[in-house]
Parts: sequence; C-alpha cells; structure tokens
Amino acid sequence: MEKINKGELLYLKRKANWLRRTVLEMAVKGKSGHVTTAFSLAELFVALYHGKILNFDSENPQWENRDRFILSEGQAGLGLYPVLADVGFFPLKDLDNFLGEESTLGVHSEPHTKGIDVLTGSLGHGLPIATGMADSAKLDGKSWLTICLTGDGELYEGSNWEAMLTARRLGLNNLVLIVNRNHQFTIGFTDSCETQRDVYMDPLPEKFQAFGFETRTANGHSFPEIFKALSSIRGRNSSKPLAVLMETIKGKGASAIEGKRGWHYKVPTGEILEAVMAGLREEEQKLEAQALKGGAL
Amino acid sequence: MLISADNGAKSMDQISELPGQFRNVGIAEEQAVGMACGHALEGRRVWIYAIDPFITLRCLEFVKLDMCAMNLPITALGVGAGYAYDIMGPTHHAVGVIAAMRVWPNLTIWSPADNMTAEALAEISYNHNGPQYIRFDRGYLPNLYENNKIDFCSGVGLACKGKDVAIISTGVMVHQACRVADQLEEKGVSARVIDLFRLKPINQNFLFQYLEGVDKVVTLEEDFLAGGMGSAIAEVFVDNDYRKPLLRIGQRDTFVFDLGGREVIWKKYGLDVESVTQKILNWT
Repeated sequence: MEKINKGELLYLKRKANWLRRTVLEMAVKGKSGHVTTAFSLAELFVALYHGKILNFDSENPQWENRDRFILSEGQAGLGLYPVLADVGFFPLKDLDNFLGEESTLGVHSEPHTKGIDVLTGSLGHGLPIATGMADSAKLDGKSWLTICLTGDGELYEGSNWEAMLTARRLGLNNLVLIVNRNHQFTIGFTDSCETQRDVYMDPLPEKFQAFGFETRTANGHSFPEIFKALSSIRGRNSSKPLAVLMETIKGKGASAIEGKRGWHYKVPTGEILEAVMAGLREEEQKLEAQALKGGAL
Repeated sequence: MLISADNGAKSMDQISELPGQFRNVGIAEEQAVGMACGHALEGRRVWIYAIDPFITLRCLEFVKLDMCAMNLPITALGVGAGYAYDIMGPTHHAVGVIAAMRVWPNLTIWSPADNMTAEALAEISYNHNGPQYIRFDRGYLPNLYENNKIDFCSGVGLACKGKDVAIISTGVMVHQACRVADQLEEKGVSARVIDLFRLKPINQNFLFQYLEGVDKVVTLEEDFLAGGMGSAIAEVFVDNDYRKPLLRIGQRDTFVFDLGGREVIWKKYGLDVESVTQKILNWT
C-alpha cells in the first residue's frame, strides 16, 4: 500500500480504534497487561498487518518467505494479539482467554502463539536475534525482511548496540529496526531530566546514524506517515540497515492516561476506565459517521 | 556457523576462513548468543565461542532464553574451565559456572577431560538437536581412552580402576584424581576414578554401574562446592536413596586473587594431590 486513499484510511483508523477497545477489554478481563504500550502501537500494528506492510500468510504461519517480525518489546503482545487474530492467525474468540489457563496469549509474547516466532519479554534480545535471521537470509539468498520492533526505553539495554555493530559490519540492509519512540519507560521519561527517574536517550537519530543505520522518523499515529516511512523498505538501494523512529505517545487514544507517569503496567479501573472507553466509543461513532457519509462501510 | 566473541584458537584459524560459516561479533557475548538464536531459528546449527566465564555467566540470561527456553541447536564453547586462566584473576576464573548452567532445562553440559573426548564432541554436538555447553580446559590434556574404548555418548568413563573408593571427577581434575589414586594405592587404598564428562543430564544408570562394589564415594572438582558437580552427585544419591558415604572436595566459598599459577591455587585451596589424598585418607 504505497499511497492510501480516503476509504482505506478510514478503514485503518477504525481498525486502530477497534484494537484499542479490544485491548482495553482484554486487559480488564485478564486484570493485567501493558495497556498504554499497546495503545502507543495501535496504528503501527494495524499498518503492518491490515495494511500489509509485512508479507505473511495467516493460513501458513511458518510460510518460508514470510517477513520475520520480532516484537522485541514483548509486553506489547496485548496489542499484537487482536491484530493477529483479526487477520486470521487464530480465532478472535481466543482473545477472550487472554492470560487464562490453556491460553498461549500471555503478558509477553512467545512462540507457542501462531504468528509469533520469537520468545520476548526480557528487553534487548530482539535486535541481536534479528541480526542472525537477517544474516541467514542473506547467506541463503532469500528476499524476506527481518523487522524488529523495540521500545525506546528498551534501547538502554546495551545488547541493542552490540547488535547494531554486527548489523553494520555485515551490511544487513534486509534488517529494519522500528523504534516505538514514546519517550517513556517504566518509571521515567526517556528524554527528560525533570526528576531522578528520567534518563536522556536523545539525540537518538544521530546515534543510529553513527552506528551506520539509515534513519527515518515518522509520526507513529499517522497512517500516511507510517506508510511513507515504511513504503520502500524492500530493495532499498543502500548497504545500511534501516532504523525507523515512530514518534508515539504512550497511552495514545486515552486522554485520561496518555503521556502520564505511572501507567506502564496498570489497567484503568472505575471512572478512568469509563472515561477511556467512552472516548474510544465516541471516536468510533465519528469514524462510523464519516464512513457512512463516504459510503465506505 | 561459528560465532566468536573475538576469541581465537589455532584449531579455529581454518574455520574462521570458511566463507559464510564464521562471524566475529567482537567482544559482545550477548550479541553472540542472540545472533546464534536468529541463525538457529532459520535452521542453522551454531557454535558460539569465548573464554568460559564470558560465554556463560556474562550472557547468562541470553543462554537461558535464546538457547534454552527456545530449545535451539546452539552449542556454547567455553575455553578455560575452572582455574585454567590461573593468573588472570577472578574475572577469568570459570567458577560458579557449573552451578549457574546446570539449572537450565533442555541444556546438555559436557566437560571433556581429554582430546579424544573433545574430538568426539564435535560430532556429538553437531548431531544433537538442542542447546549444549562444552567447557574446555586451556591446554592439551593427556588422553585417557587410547587403550580403553568407551561410548562417548554415554557421558561417563572409567579413567582408573580400583575397588575400595570411587573418585568422581570432571575435566582437568580427572587427571588429578588419577594421581591421587596412585598416592592412595601406596597407602593401601584402592581407588577408581570415574570421569563424569557429561554433567547434565547425568547418566545415572552408567554412574551406578561404575560405582558398584566400592564402599565410599568422593567427588573432586575445580569449582565451587555450592551447586557444582559434587552437589549434582549428592542430588542423584538423595533422589535415588543411594546410601554410600560421600565426601565432596572442591572450592570453598571464596574468590581467588592468588598469583603464581594453577598449582599454587590448588595447593592453597586444598585441591593439590597431596591435600586431596590426605583428606580422603583422613575420611576413610
């Protein structure tokens, strides 16, 4: 999907809204989950799967030519599961049993779930693993891509920078690192020194460039920008690996909690929950009205 | 695929020239394990190589998750078991490693005491479809099995025959145990030496066969008593209600800053032939 038309944009926006509502329902029912992380990635997940940026076959999850997608920030599994189910990797009803007995859908993603190849949850593993996959693809003459998604808080793990040295040395131009740049980690902000909890990560694009990556930045809540940043990831005329910084807001779409401290691993309850859900329903009604108007339902 | 964390060896020079089968990630052990995981997920068999404490303890959580939890055919090659890097200090001493490594599900641990065993492990590690760790000494150890054919897949060998006491040991200490057996012989105690070159899983059937007939059992290792090989043997004894007196000899709860070489360390911490012989004589 190089350029998206109005109808497609509306379709994707409604999917992102549905994803946020589903995430919230799952977390409330499961009494756990990283809601704000999942909310910050809603547009990206929808773009990757519904928008078909990734090559995959949900009927054949191990299809040899699929792109390898590594969700290195495994705690975002809550946001990925509904998307995987919706595109057909497993039944939507499995989402009802998030964190339940006999379910594979845990707080952190793991390879017993169809559509997930790698065990993640401990941060700083995805990118090292991605270098091995991308190197394998090159050695075997395969054209699939390895796409690794990390959080920006995750980048404090030194193993990421070890992996970047390898990626550059081997010219892994079939490797795409996407960073969920929501400027927050568990207790602090990643680009502030406001309190003792905060630790600067900036300037990040320059760091990636210094490590030999082609670097792009996009608004991770804008579908046109996501597609633009990821539209030409295949067959790039560059020997460098690619890093795409998706500027996002932790908890995006839930005004009562977005960008606030203390919501890394907390499920909204009571009035806050009602306010978040009401806001999402209101947005959905607006999108539905637009769809009806445009005849794009 | 061999991934080195910037370590070499004479025997590896040839391998490092093989196109597409060798990668040096630099001094970056976590990257070595993670990258190996990526290659293994794509169907390759991978060996990773560094000085022993660095390819195990330094990147232990990567071993736990990227090798063991995902159950992938990756073999970690650690060189310098125990105090092999004697004068290099606590940073390079590979102690606590048996305790740290033997807890991980799916992991097979080898600890060869001679070149023949090490050579056999090349093929064994290639054929095994799961994570493995091989702890090597540094130098060339005398061959134990030249005139004594054994099944290397069994994980246990008889290094020295005797009838009264059995000394179970691993790695370089197997040779030490044989020298202890010679000393004990002079004092009228006949000791057999069992080479436990697979530390996990322990081949219990073979072990009990090798222990048949002896009255007492000693374990000798160049690693901590806490959680080491002797602990593993004690667990096997307790879990099987195997009632023979057991004496564990190994490193006590301390770091070693002493210089002067491995022999000095052994003597100072009671792991030299004379001290071990005396301990066993005092005990029996």
